[in-house]
Amino acid sequence: MSTIRVRSPASYWLAVPAAVWMLGVVVVPIVLLVWVSLWSGRAFSPASPLTFDNYAKFFANPTYIKLIGSTVVHTATLMAVTGVLGYCIAYFLVVKVRSPRWRLVLFLAFIVPFWTSTLIRAIAWVPFLGVNGVINQTLMFVGVTQSPIEAFLYSRAGITMAQVSLYTMLAAGPVVYMLNSIPPQLREAAMTLKAAPFTVFRRIIFPLTLPGVVIGQVLVFLNVMSDFATVATIGGNKHALLSNLVMLFYESSQIRGASVVAVMLMLCMLVGVVVALRVVDIRRLGA
Amino acid sequence: MDALTRDPPQNAAVQDPARPQLDLELRGIRKRFGGFTAVDGVSLKVEKGQFVCLLGPSGCGKTTTLRCIAGLEEPDDGGILIGGKEVTRDPPWQRDIAMMFQDFALFPHMTVAKQVGFGLEMLKKPKAEIAKRVQHVLKSFEILELAERKPASLSGGQRQRVALARAMITEPRILLLDEPIGALDYSLRETVMLELKLLQQRTGISFIWVTHDQNEAFSLGDLVVVMNHARIEQQGSPEDILQRPATAFVAGFVQGNNVFRGKVVGEGAGVLSVETAAGTFRVPAIGTPPVLGSDVSFSVRAEQLTDAPTDQHPNRLTVQCTTVEYFGAVRRHIFQRRDGELLKYDQFGAHAQRVAVGQTAVLGWQVEDSVLHVGVAR
Repeated sequence: MSTIRVRSPASYWLAVPAAVWMLGVVVVPIVLLVWVSLWSGRAFSPASPLTFDNYAKFFANPTYIKLIGSTVVHTATLMAVTGVLGYCIAYFLVVKVRSPRWRLVLFLAFIVPFWTSTLIRAIAWVPFLGVNGVINQTLMFVGVTQSPIEAFLYSRAGITMAQVSLYTMLAAGPVVYMLNSIPPQLREAAMTLKAAPFTVFRRIIFPLTLPGVVIGQVLVFLNVMSDFATVATIGGNKHALLSNLVMLFYESSQIRGASVVAVMLMLCMLVGVVVALRVVDIRRLGA
Repeated sequence: MDALTRDPPQNAAVQDPARPQLDLELRGIRKRFGGFTAVDGVSLKVEKGQFVCLLGPSGCGKTTTLRCIAGLEEPDDGGILIGGKEVTRDPPWQRDIAMMFQDFALFPHMTVAKQVGFGLEMLKKPKAEIAKRVQHVLKSFEILELAERKPASLSGGQRQRVALARAMITEPRILLLDEPIGALDYSLRETVMLELKLLQQRTGISFIWVTHDQNEAFSLGDLVVVMNHARIEQQGSPEDILQRPATAFVAGFVQGNNVFRGKVVGEGAGVLSVETAAGTFRVPAIGTPPVLGSDVSFSVRAEQLTDAPTDQHPNRLTVQCTTVEYFGAVRRHIFQRRDGELLKYDQFGAHAQRVAVGQTAVLGWQVEDSVLHVGVAR
């Protein structure tokens, strides 16, 4: 078997296709986006002088500032809920389900819905959450409420419920991987060193799965921040997050405004990922 | 290791004063996994400070027995007493034991110092005391300079020391070791074995050492327990097991035995005549002599044979030499027996070779050197 040395010409040439692709679909669009966000004046033209006026306008509007805040709060809520739920699911799948066949069946049951697009799955929540939806009819049938609860659909709670269902497996997946890679003897060694099960979890299992938790959180964070579709479908026109603002500006042909919000969104995401990488070095995951 | 002094027994009240104090007692423990019986009625008594080796081929139930003692498996049946206290249903963290795992099971995210102090932390010792004892134990295991390292950067020998330090620091009544040196380089094993034996003698902690390597078992164990098919075949001192194997399995499993199976065809003056496919031999009877015609087995050690039999060697075989192996201490000749099995004959390695490959020789041994197997033939 021949190997390619790290700094040989061949290794650079082999990187060219990927580099060209990344340049075309990631780097150039981002540069364009930032450029457009700095255009001033009224004319939509590359000749526009570059200023920070658009940003000033954005920050001058307290509604937008509040929107950043509520987006962060909403995302943090989702990260917390999917984090706990995802960890429980992962732990259940790996530790509690002993039969490999059942584990596969359950894992598929969790994964198969992901074969559909996020938008379709978001829309699928509407008949569940509506005033005459499945949840309300069930609640009324059981006798929990007399009249349907309207707060499910077109509400922040409804958005959260739908997004939890959409993104929990993103939080669970990396944890499943990390849990699987922990040799069972570590748990046993800790027990013979007088650690009771919860202590074993707190001192051994959880620290060893932390990289998986952080990666899962990054995935949920990025997805929720950029998910305008679920918010638009479940939230109706009553609720919006930063990503919906991009859509709003775009649909009203305010391209510069749209790019300013997009850049803000991107910065938020970047900050989030940097913070996550401070906690855990993902590159050293295999070690 | 002078820090490892034992606390007085906490459960002295439970002790039966009539019996000598036992560190461990197994009363007919049984463990089944689905349709597979891993441990089938194993009983064992370990006296205070004994070095016990559980020896047997893989799958014989020795590791499951060890895991039952640790509390990592719960026996279906039978009882386990540690220091006279019934612990059969107690979880591992409530037992006065520590365990060393085959691949050491070090916690990858903890430094050596943190790792070694873990057991004391679990016992809720004050921080200052933990730091002091960790320091001391690391020093006595000569791994003080590794204190801030993580397991991934340690060599096999270093990991072994860390695992041992981690297990020993809590000064358990019993240390369970599952093939503790199996993962080490061959050249390291002999040194480590000696160190562990000395450590065990110095601390007076009972060691229960699981191995498939008879050299380990016989050179370390005060008590060697040979297991096969989920049962104990024989337990005794290394000498007992090497010189007086109780079953054909034990005789065949330990090195240097020639095993014969046959029928009793005659009896007189405490000596049996046993007819085998390789010939008829005279074997001293032990205990109640078996009835004529019953199936028996016996063995004779390879070093008890002679290639120049005299009147004193009535048991004789004419065989052809197929191979000679030289081990330094002994020269082993392999002969083809008439019943298809191999016959082993050992000479002192320092002596000149007397039988060459291809040569046919008459080998003989004295009646009293044949050992009848009194255990149940299975």
